[in-house]
Amino acid sequence: MAGPANHTELSAELSSRPGHNTWTSTVVRWLLITVSLVFLGALLAAPLAAVFSVALEKGWEAYFGAFADPDTRAAIRLTLITAAVVVPLNTLFGITAAWCIAKFEFKGKSFLITLIDLPLAVSPVVSGLIYVLLFGLNGWFGAWLQDHDISIVYALPGIILATMFVTFPYVARELIPLMQQLGNDEEEAAITLGAGGWLTFFRVTLPRIRWGLVYGVILCNARAMGEFGAVSVVSGNIRGLTTTMPLHIEILYNEYNFVGAFAVASMLSLLAVVTLIIKTLVERSGYRRR
Amino acid sequence: MSIALDQVTKRYQEQPVVNDVSIEIGEGEFFVLLGPSGSGKSTLLRAIAGLTGIDHGRISLHGRDVTHVRARDRGVGLVFQNYALFRHMTVADNIEFALRVRRMRAADRRARRKELLKLVALEGMDERLPGQLSGGQQQRVAVARALAHKPQVLLLDEPFGALDAKIREELRRTIRSVQRELGIATVLVTHDQEEAFALADTIGVMNHGRLLEVGNPNDLYTQPATRFVATFLGAANLLLARQSADGIRFGATPVNAEGPERVPAGREHEVVAVLRPEEVEIAGAREHLSSNYIAKGAVEEIVFTGALERLRVRLLDEPSAAMLLGPGGANDARLEVTRTQPERRDLPLQTGAQVALGARRLHVLPTPLSSFLACAPTEAAAAALANEPLLAQLSTNMKTRVVLRSIAQGPEVTGSPLPFTGVAAISAGPDAAKTVEWLLRNGANEVLVLPRNAPSPTRVFIHWTHEAARRATLAVSASLLRHVSAEAIYLGIVPEGPPGAGHAAPMRALLDARSEAQSSHGLEMRTELAIGETVSELTRTLSSGAAQMLVLGITDIEHAGTAYRSLLAAQPGWPVLLVYRSGEPQLRAEAAA
Amino acid sequence: MKTMRREPNVIPGFGITLGFTTFFLCAIVLLPLSALVLKAAGMDFARFVDVITSPRALASYRLSFGAALVAACVNMVFGFALAWTLVRYDFPGRKFIDAVIDMPFALPTAVSGIALTTVFAGNGWIGQYLEPLGIQVAYTWIGITVALTLIGMPFVVRTVQPAILEVQRDLEDAAETLGAGRFYVFRRIIVPTVLPALLTGFTLAFARAVGEYGSVIFIAGNMPMKTEITPLLIVIRLEEFDYAGAAALGCVMLAISFVMLLAINLIQVWGRRRMMVSR
Repeated sequence: MAGPANHTELSAELSSRPGHNTWTSTVVRWLLITVSLVFLGALLAAPLAAVFSVALEKGWEAYFGAFADPDTRAAIRLTLITAAVVVPLNTLFGITAAWCIAKFEFKGKSFLITLIDLPLAVSPVVSGLIYVLLFGLNGWFGAWLQDHDISIVYALPGIILATMFVTFPYVARELIPLMQQLGNDEEEAAITLGAGGWLTFFRVTLPRIRWGLVYGVILCNARAMGEFGAVSVVSGNIRGLTTTMPLHIEILYNEYNFVGAFAVASMLSLLAVVTLIIKTLVERSGYRRR
Repeated sequence: MSIALDQVTKRYQEQPVVNDVSIEIGEGEFFVLLGPSGSGKSTLLRAIAGLTGIDHGRISLHGRDVTHVRARDRGVGLVFQNYALFRHMTVADNIEFALRVRRMRAADRRARRKELLKLVALEGMDERLPGQLSGGQQQRVAVARALAHKPQVLLLDEPFGALDAKIREELRRTIRSVQRELGIATVLVTHDQEEAFALADTIGVMNHGRLLEVGNPNDLYTQPATRFVATFLGAANLLLARQSADGIRFGATPVNAEGPERVPAGREHEVVAVLRPEEVEIAGAREHLSSNYIAKGAVEEIVFTGALERLRVRLLDEPSAAMLLGPGGANDARLEVTRTQPERRDLPLQTGAQVALGARRLHVLPTPLSSFLACAPTEAAAAALANEPLLAQLSTNMKTRVVLRSIAQGPEVTGSPLPFTGVAAISAGPDAAKTVEWLLRNGANEVLVLPRNAPSPTRVFIHWTHEAARRATLAVSASLLRHVSAEAIYLGIVPEGPPGAGHAAPMRALLDARSEAQSSHGLEMRTELAIGETVSELTRTLSSGAAQMLVLGITDIEHAGTAYRSLLAAQPGWPVLLVYRSGEPQLRAEAAA
Repeated sequence: MKTMRREPNVIPGFGITLGFTTFFLCAIVLLPLSALVLKAAGMDFARFVDVITSPRALASYRLSFGAALVAACVNMVFGFALAWTLVRYDFPGRKFIDAVIDMPFALPTAVSGIALTTVFAGNGWIGQYLEPLGIQVAYTWIGITVALTLIGMPFVVRTVQPAILEVQRDLEDAAETLGAGRFYVFRRIIVPTVLPALLTGFTLAFARAVGEYGSVIFIAGNMPMKTEITPLLIVIRLEEFDYAGAAALGCVMLAISFVMLLAINLIQVWGRRRMMVSR
């Protein structure tokens, strides 16, 4: 109401103020912008550029050659399988948890929320460790599992479990505040109009939370494909069998196969870029994170 | 003077948001700036506070020119609509903020704070945080904070906007009493006319960045000079009446009111009259009216609102065509009437009842622009003309109507009433000048020549060819400029001659024109001087920029069809508003006086 | 609002969603975590203390905490500058920079680890200029700090950004009309208003950095007692099949996580109370 509304008008007003020291504020402004850009450049832009630069150091042929390696292919396959299992499960969990927490009042709700947040605060190594302690040879279920010839740790199920632990807050944390903010009115209206629970969810709730859901899912996916610490502890690093892409990067890197390591890294970087692009598009569509 | 603004202009991206505003506010005066949102009133307040620089003009506080002084050195107290309290500081810290900045001693700060909290009736609230107070209390703290450093002036930007009605009234009383007690010059910005009436010693009404009128609340309400002020300050029925040499007629019935200017015999002017709903008298029959009869009507709607009864009455006979605007909007031209309980008891009415209407008090606006007449060879062309963006904008802003008229230029029409009243609008083109001449001969006094899709002007040039047209041209310009946000520039043109010779007189005329515009019409304008032949200089000036317009005062019909041909035929062209006043000797003498 | 929801709720699915959520949480979070705690609790107490206070463990705590603290401090300064720049200034590429801030969230830690190592190694793009100055980044604690700074950066920027956005322009204008200069306004109005968000961001970045593994191990050099972080020590214990030792150190890390969560909550409560946003 009072005063200027947008960025341009604001800066126009500020610089029109009597006694406004244009010189100082311009210097401060450009100083801050420069500092910010240098900080980001050294920390983010240079390493990202380095990934592609090293990966392509020996030309495109060597770059694509890196992906011909059967172990690399196995790692990519394993990563995709893990994500394909983990992301849908966590999405399902996220929606259910958000529905339960946002739509109802019950005792122990804040405890539940704390539990959902917990994996974000736990060190990834600890996240892996707990599964080793549970399903490893000396773990609680270790002996029983061995008797029945089931392997969890140092095998695919362990990788999936650890990844699930690390990534499951993402969808739920995105949806809970969103659904709390949207309130219950429209759902209640739908139900009093005779709609059933499923119909209400798919026709009323889902369309309203879809951007938040997309947001949560892409973040969950990015973390699931890129998780290193937790997976590293439970996988046993059996080359070609239990190495996901990030683990494979480590192996290649330690073997001084830089082109190979950075080629795989470049793929994961592209994944991150795509994730950011989708995220930006979602935000453009009007979805605001709180 | 406590606060003096001299021709203050502020532009955002070339658009003036505050346009040539001059105000003088006296010692201890409570001045209310009233206007709709976007009228520039908040920007003006921020300019006084120093939070916005101005592009032109001067601001002085207590005789000190502060135009280029920083906000923090101006010594003003500013209260914001949303309080703008520092939420992490206690009430005490908030109030002492200005004193702390000035490094006042703690004991003195404390004493001053106690004094202020007492003044705003918040004693004992020192250690509360703003979040623990109600909205009204927060705003009291904000007032106390703004007064802490004993500012020379207190500025309040919609201070009651975020409060509900009851607290609003209470706080209003507090602010008024604090202001009286301190005797501090105060400017309050609001869009609420009731608030303005309740608080103001003087009200300034703003619209489109211009200060339209300044005056005490009663004068502004009873004798507004503009239709905007008439309708913005309370409800008003706007009616079209006709003024001739004999006086003012409303339809066929003469009414007792004063017109804005004298009219020569044989010609007629259309004028706009303001009739407040409470000034309408209703009677069963014409004979029972104690006031001036204006029309018969049928009651369409009765709403009981407690103290008052509101009626909407449809005018039955000819004057219904003269209804411009009831408070309900332009499309339902119904006379709005309010009656008190005693009046209601004397004559109980049902909807559908036929009544006689009288006007106890009719105020004729001094504006020379009344309604528009879109003239074109065919009805369809006239309709297209009425939809021209500039004409549509003007009629909306002026709350007036556009009547379509197809004209066939033939022999001169004579007799009374003359067919053309109000501002005739025609399209620009090679034949425009001829049409203008024909219209002027047939009674039109103002003709607006519109090129296709002309934008709303940002600069309006004013010029008259003869001094006899000065007064009318200035009045028309002032009226026009209240409804578009453009700068006004008077263009003086001196014929070419030996250098240095005879320029003193035109210069004086230029300055006279400017001071007359300001004093008689409230129009702030800049002046420019050009040397050369009139029409070519006008053309040159108008071509010098985009979105320009001309108001041209002329006194002779004879040469109109030929003299201005090139001016009105130019491509792409510019809007020209021609103001014609006959150069009769008696009027000439008056103009000279 | 609360009392409203307590009334009989027509929305279906409470039982099934609560059941599913609880089951999932128990299976994925509670059960494994209790395994960790019980494993450690199964140890002889003296041995437990012995493991978690061994010189190597102590050195690793010092490194993990020290580097995380320095990184969080660096982020507090630069993150504030970044957030301020993004909110208050308009410059070409602002929207792009704003989107890129989230990169460390999305970028796998192993990738940022090898990339930072390459850039900051003695012959790397940035390392080659720092080496002659006597600053060795890769394979020292400085390198670890750099990696942790990258990881924590978005946490600070993303929590501070909305707080700066919420500092009403009116507050600054009010302070100015009351006579305050720019720096005074910054110190007395802006910083206190943004402080709770800044501290939250600091704690989030710190919590994340203490447990970070992937991006650190590449740049750390992993010399016992010198550049060995606590998570790495856990991995080493595991590789030695010393499950109890790993569990004991894991418990320490877990306890730290809980303390951090608590701290974040306290800061937020404090911030809310200070601002008294009672709307």
